[in-house]
Amino acid sequence: MTDTVVTPSPVPAPAVLARPRRVSSSRLAGAAVLGAWAVLFWWLLLTGRQDFYLSTRTQWVVPVGATLLTMAALGRLATVRTREREPVRRRDAWAMAAVVAPVVLMMALPPATLGQYSAGKRSSFASVGVVTSASDIGSGDLTLVDVAAGQTTPEGEAALAARAGERVTFVGFVTRYDDTPADELFLTRYVVTCCVADATIAEVRVVNVTPGAFEPDDWVEVTGAIYPIGREVIVNAERVVGVDRPDRPYLTP
Amino acid sequence: MAQVAAPRRAREATPRTAVAVVAALVAVGLLLQLAEPQRVPWVQTFFLVFGSLLVQALPFVLVGALASALIEVLLPVGTLERLATLPKPLQLPAAALAGVAMPICECGSVPVARRLASKGLLPSAAVTFMLAAPVVNPVVTASTFVAYRGREAMWTMVAGRFLLGLVVAVTVGWVIGAVSRDGLMKPNPEDRHVHTVELGRPEPRWRRFFLHLGGDFLFMGRYLVLGATFAALVQTFLPASWISEVAAMPIVSIAAMMLLASLLSLCSESDAFIAASFVQFGSSAQLAFLVFGPMVDLKLATLYAGTFRPGFLRTVVLAAFGTTLVATMWLQVWIG
Repeated sequence: MTDTVVTPSPVPAPAVLARPRRVSSSRLAGAAVLGAWAVLFWWLLLTGRQDFYLSTRTQWVVPVGATLLTMAALGRLATVRTREREPVRRRDAWAMAAVVAPVVLMMALPPATLGQYSAGKRSSFASVGVVTSASDIGSGDLTLVDVAAGQTTPEGEAALAARAGERVTFVGFVTRYDDTPADELFLTRYVVTCCVADATIAEVRVVNVTPGAFEPDDWVEVTGAIYPIGREVIVNAERVVGVDRPDRPYLTP
Repeated sequence: MAQVAAPRRAREATPRTAVAVVAALVAVGLLLQLAEPQRVPWVQTFFLVFGSLLVQALPFVLVGALASALIEVLLPVGTLERLATLPKPLQLPAAALAGVAMPICECGSVPVARRLASKGLLPSAAVTFMLAAPVVNPVVTASTFVAYRGREAMWTMVAGRFLLGLVVAVTVGWVIGAVSRDGLMKPNPEDRHVHTVELGRPEPRWRRFFLHLGGDFLFMGRYLVLGATFAALVQTFLPASWISEVAAMPIVSIAAMMLLASLLSLCSESDAFIAASFVQFGSSAQLAFLVFGPMVDLKLATLYAGTFRPGFLRTVVLAAFGTTLVATMWLQVWIG
């Protein structure tokens, strides 16, 4: 901001050196901006809100960011006294406010996750190119990531097909499209590789659901038999119950 | 004298400005608490994408600012001036490779290039360095790796960005040719990245380090906030069908991603996370985004206009666009 611009002073150097050090408003404002971001990162870390923005594999940036931002804010604060007059221009003051605004925004809003609105704007998990091995799909408990990734390769599709009729339990939110029958729903979960911006969807079609029991964006747990049919995976529901949103709402591939 | 000084003072922030800024931020917080805009699905989506981009990218911007500050304080500029002693055909590739050692943002590379040219480096080599450094430096390579980690195309993107960045930067330098420094650069451009030194004697090194660190972060931060806003709006509102249509067009998809990169004006230390989010586009189009964006974007255009002679921006745009397009079209045939 203003501290990056040198304005030649008309005052001779000896006169400047004779001045007492005073608090530079430019440096102080910069320290405040850095401090605000440091507070946000510590807050994300301590409240677990990082789970709503990042995947588990990239959450390390939060403690690293918190530490570096704190260091940068304190370091800048230590340089705040100077002999030069370093005012903040109005334009830069508002630019700094714009940099701080996201901090206010994230701390003021209640925790939320992506829902049905963006499901239609996202690619399916299968189109991203993240691959789960066929051996992972062929053994152990089936997860939504396994199910979605099973459609990425012929081997995965075959491994998934071999498990037709097995009992599965999936947790996700309800998605309904215009042509979804009343006794069906789509159980959807976002798969996040780095951050929410790269979220893709993994979803299965759930049949044999009580009509009108669940609204879009409701979180549910579905138990039933799985039937992979071509590119679509169907779960014949034995039990569908409403559940709280998981602490970690996004899946990591 | 008083009449001359008055408008200058008028542009300075006063305590009243500070109060207004704080009040505005508090008002935004209260409004968000009371109005609960997150109940509107698109607003919720926008805030989530916007917030996640910033949380993910800001630490990388800070790491970049930290490395930049260390270099500014510890590395003598003369280290790179040795390039001037190389044979001329080697100067462009050497200048591009020198970018590996300079983890600076695209804004920071402009004044460094000008300084290098003013001290005897071939001007076209200085431009090559300026374009390559924000694409090939280790911080950018690391952030690209993290953004694409776990994807099939990870190494294609990491290596492709590095190599294509070198190729495009060298090509632009070659197109500029043997122009003199005075023919390429304005004599007294406004330098936005000169840092404060107390008149009479330089500030201690540790103070300069923290000034550079904070200054770079604040400078890049506002562009990142702006870029994240654009990116979140695009992700919130752009119809999937439109993206799918454009993404499916072989050459148009590449050109569209280059245009998008220029409009978003993202920092090269964080743009990989945004490129990776455009999953509808193939790897080659994302690569074009990652190579072209740090060389030509809206915020750089203003810096170029202040530093270089008229015509420079047009030359860089055409040469970088053409080279990136041709190279990524070849890649599109191979990798999609």
